[in-house]
Amino acid sequence: MIKLQELSKIYRTDDIETVALDAVNIEIETGEFVAIMGPSGCGKSSLLNVIGMLDVANSGQYIFNGNDISTQSENQLSELRKRNIGFVFQSFNLIDELSVRENIELALLYHNIPAAERKQRVAAVMDKIGIAHRAGHRPSQLSGGQQQRVAVARAVVGEQSIILADEPTGNLDSRQGQEVMEMLRALNDEGKTIIMVTHSASHADYAKRTINLFDGRVVVENLRAVS
Amino acid sequence: MLLGYIKVALRNLLKHRFYAAINVVGLAIGLTVFLLSLLLARYETNHDYMFENRDQIYFVGVEFTKSADIGVQSIDAVQSAFGPLLRAQEPELEALARSINREYLVTVEVDNYYQSIKFVDTDFTKIFHLDYIAGDASVIHNPTSVILSRSAAEKYFGHTDVLGAQLELDHEHSMTVGAVFEDIGKDSHFNSALIDDSQLEFIAPFSALKQIADYSMEGEWNNISFGNRTYALIPKQCDQQWLQQRVDSLYEEHLNPERKDFIQKFRARPLIEANTILFDAIGMPIIESVRLLGLMVLLIACVNYTNLATAQSFSRTREVGLRKSFGASRNQLLVQFLVESLTTAVLALLIAVAAIELIIPWYNQALDKAVQIYYLETLPLLMLVALMVGLIAGAYPAYQIAGVKPVDSLKNNNALVSGGGYFRSTMIGLQFAMSTFMLAIVMVMLFQGEKMQKSSYIYPRDEVLVLDRLDIEGTRARHESLKEQLLKVKGVKEVSYSSQVPFDQSNSTFPITPLRGDKSAEMSINQVRVDTDFLSAYNIPLLAGRGYSLNYANDKRTDEPGQVNVIINETAAARLGLGSAQQAIGKTFYNIQSSDSDQDEFKQYDYSVIGVVEDQNFLGLHNTIKPMIFLFSDDWRSHASIRLDTANLNETLSSIEKTWNDVIPDYPLQRRFLDEVFEETYQIIRAMSMTLSGFAAIALSLALIGLFGLAAFMAERRTKEIGIRKVLGAKASQVAYLLIWQFSIPVVWSLLVSIPAAYFASSIYLGFFADKIDTLIPVLLVAGVIGIATAWMIVSLHAFKVARLPPIRSLRYE
Repeated sequence: MIKLQELSKIYRTDDIETVALDAVNIEIETGEFVAIMGPSGCGKSSLLNVIGMLDVANSGQYIFNGNDISTQSENQLSELRKRNIGFVFQSFNLIDELSVRENIELALLYHNIPAAERKQRVAAVMDKIGIAHRAGHRPSQLSGGQQQRVAVARAVVGEQSIILADEPTGNLDSRQGQEVMEMLRALNDEGKTIIMVTHSASHADYAKRTINLFDGRVVVENLRAVS
Repeated sequence: MLLGYIKVALRNLLKHRFYAAINVVGLAIGLTVFLLSLLLARYETNHDYMFENRDQIYFVGVEFTKSADIGVQSIDAVQSAFGPLLRAQEPELEALARSINREYLVTVEVDNYYQSIKFVDTDFTKIFHLDYIAGDASVIHNPTSVILSRSAAEKYFGHTDVLGAQLELDHEHSMTVGAVFEDIGKDSHFNSALIDDSQLEFIAPFSALKQIADYSMEGEWNNISFGNRTYALIPKQCDQQWLQQRVDSLYEEHLNPERKDFIQKFRARPLIEANTILFDAIGMPIIESVRLLGLMVLLIACVNYTNLATAQSFSRTREVGLRKSFGASRNQLLVQFLVESLTTAVLALLIAVAAIELIIPWYNQALDKAVQIYYLETLPLLMLVALMVGLIAGAYPAYQIAGVKPVDSLKNNNALVSGGGYFRSTMIGLQFAMSTFMLAIVMVMLFQGEKMQKSSYIYPRDEVLVLDRLDIEGTRARHESLKEQLLKVKGVKEVSYSSQVPFDQSNSTFPITPLRGDKSAEMSINQVRVDTDFLSAYNIPLLAGRGYSLNYANDKRTDEPGQVNVIINETAAARLGLGSAQQAIGKTFYNIQSSDSDQDEFKQYDYSVIGVVEDQNFLGLHNTIKPMIFLFSDDWRSHASIRLDTANLNETLSSIEKTWNDVIPDYPLQRRFLDEVFEETYQIIRAMSMTLSGFAAIALSLALIGLFGLAAFMAERRTKEIGIRKVLGAKASQVAYLLIWQFSIPVVWSLLVSIPAAYFASSIYLGFFADKIDTLIPVLLVAGVIGIATAWMIVSLHAFKVARLPPIRSLRYE
């Protein structure tokens, strides 16, 4: 479903050129749980952003569900993105002015879903992740773990099949981190494809496959037997 | 410490260059407009300081009753019979002098000039101390002497050493130059740009006018003209009220009841009001409006600053938190932020002063004024303004930011962004309320002006050439042959003599009644003296009856009392109760004889209606349609109207000039198109709407600049949110909509305030006009729509740019 061929991403400032991704070839199938690892600055987040269509590559090909991404217009990209991909960020990226409920609902706002159905689906997903009692609270009133659960809920409420998680546990203590990882595993068990960037080897163990990057290149790929 | 604050302030301005530029430029524009408006208002209201006893000099004018309906509410002159009465009644008065402006043809050797001469009572030179460079004031007692200004002497003789030099008035009256005085500055009411008739360059004694024109002024109660002022020098210990009491008693005692119907009051005014009296006369508070508009523009600029500074200050919570953790008190922080806004204000002030230095010379040249900035005098004011602006604009943001708790400010930057939202919205609303208010008024003025222009075309404005100065006695005998010769010129269709042409702002009225022998004035009628061709020359349609003809002996009014055939307009017929145009034909009305005058309109005439013309606004502009009588008479012919075929215009014009020079070689031709007659009176209204348009344009652009800055800033603050929304699938247009909508709410509600306010204000303005636009509400709504549309446009400029950025850039912003 995701196929990267010879994909490169270069950042240029006035006098420095940084190669973030260097001719990367990766294929990810539906239902996989992939962890992307590597030292800081190796291109993990760049890879995730390109996969998530938040950023475009400089060269190479990215085929998503049979669509060549480089030929899509901006509006087509945003359409593909919102139908298929949910995002979870290290810093949660919830909107402070909105309540928990509204933050989750935001993901449905751009799907042309009637208000009544939106409400239902938001209520359902809040129940599922056990945050319903906090529905009216602001993000700043929640713990980090709770905020990240809201973010995960927001990533799946639109019934996207892929979740891209950029160090989802980076800002959490170990217990909360574990809770979030359990959620992700449960979602993977339901059939969602999960691609996660992480620094933590133990959290990478939740994934079925690990891709190690170094200086923008894939250095090791290992498949793990699921325990 | 203060120096440290200023240093931080300047660094901060440099760091946030974009917003700082908006702030400084916005405030500078606001200050420029505000200071300029103060300066100009002060200039116009502080004339005549070159006369050392200015504060003792007063002039007496009249205030008209509402029913007088002559297009002005008051005038700077009083009848010439008044002066001597005041003089006789009040021995304490130090001096009293009347002045009358009359135009004469002045001949020096072979050169001819039309010159407005100021004829004055001998006390004039006691009231106004002129700076004589040759001769002295005593010549005012000599009825054949004239006193010239330096520039007049140079104009006529090429130099100022001209004592004893001869000049001739109207080829008949020889006068001698008795004295020359230094030119009076432009900032004297004598040189007012507003009333062009009152220049002080050629002075002659009243006794001369008596000799030349056989003009008796002692009992003259009929004439009041702009610029013919009666000045009084009152004793030092007396004041305006003292003079007013004496003036009031003369009004009671000497004005007969008919005139009291017309004149409500004699009013003593200090000389300092003389320059701006025209604004009073037309009943529009121009000076006050200019001050108010200047202040509004400054307020809009302050609001810009406050808004942007408040918004921006939230990005500095971290700095505040740090300073507080290191022991800064709330007050110290307040001072720090106020120093910043004061620094901005001072920078803006410097720019404003520089701008004014550039604008003033240009303004002086364009409008022939002598505005100056006196820095020593204005420095305290400038400092005060900078201080006020700095404090007012900076107070709220400083208060907000200094109140931040250190823990919050260090911990979470974003939680505070939403703060001050209501305040900002209110301020934006306020700004837009002010600028759409001005915009709406300007549009009303422009449309009303357009309407006036349009309705003035009932007269063939560009096909009538008006020849002036035909009232000069020396030309009178040649009128008939002039007309005869002019009619032979190719391209001339009609020639008609009259006392007045359309758009001349002159009301010559007399009281009439439908009942013979009635003594109480039922109504006044405006008279125009015409000849047989006037109606056809001006396309004035007859509704019933016939025009004047030489074949009927009674058509022309002569000095002999008796029956006269006349043409009136519909309004006159209706007010006299003569019925419709058809019914009025053949009916008679009468003038009311007055006891205190021997003028011929007060002889007994029976006016028999032979024609009724359509109602037309003969005075045009803001005037109502009045009862009119077109009298066929040989008297008072001051204009010839020539109806032209506009093809080959230049040829026709030069033929006309040649014809004039053949028939009347001793007086130069003075001509203007009816168009110009209109423009002369229309220019005040035009100048007013231009000025207001300028203010409104600046106000609106300031508001838009402010909105742009704020929109840019808010978009920046919401970058993360925008990123999240885009990640969640929002399209660029949806994001842009979000940003635009944020600013639409205050702009929309501001219209709820500004449009009714504009309705109220423009109703007052339109009340000045008889012929009003009937589309006031649509015009106001259009102004509202323009307000919203420009606001949207400005916000969109930025919103679409931000919305198009790839989402990851927005998210990486932190």
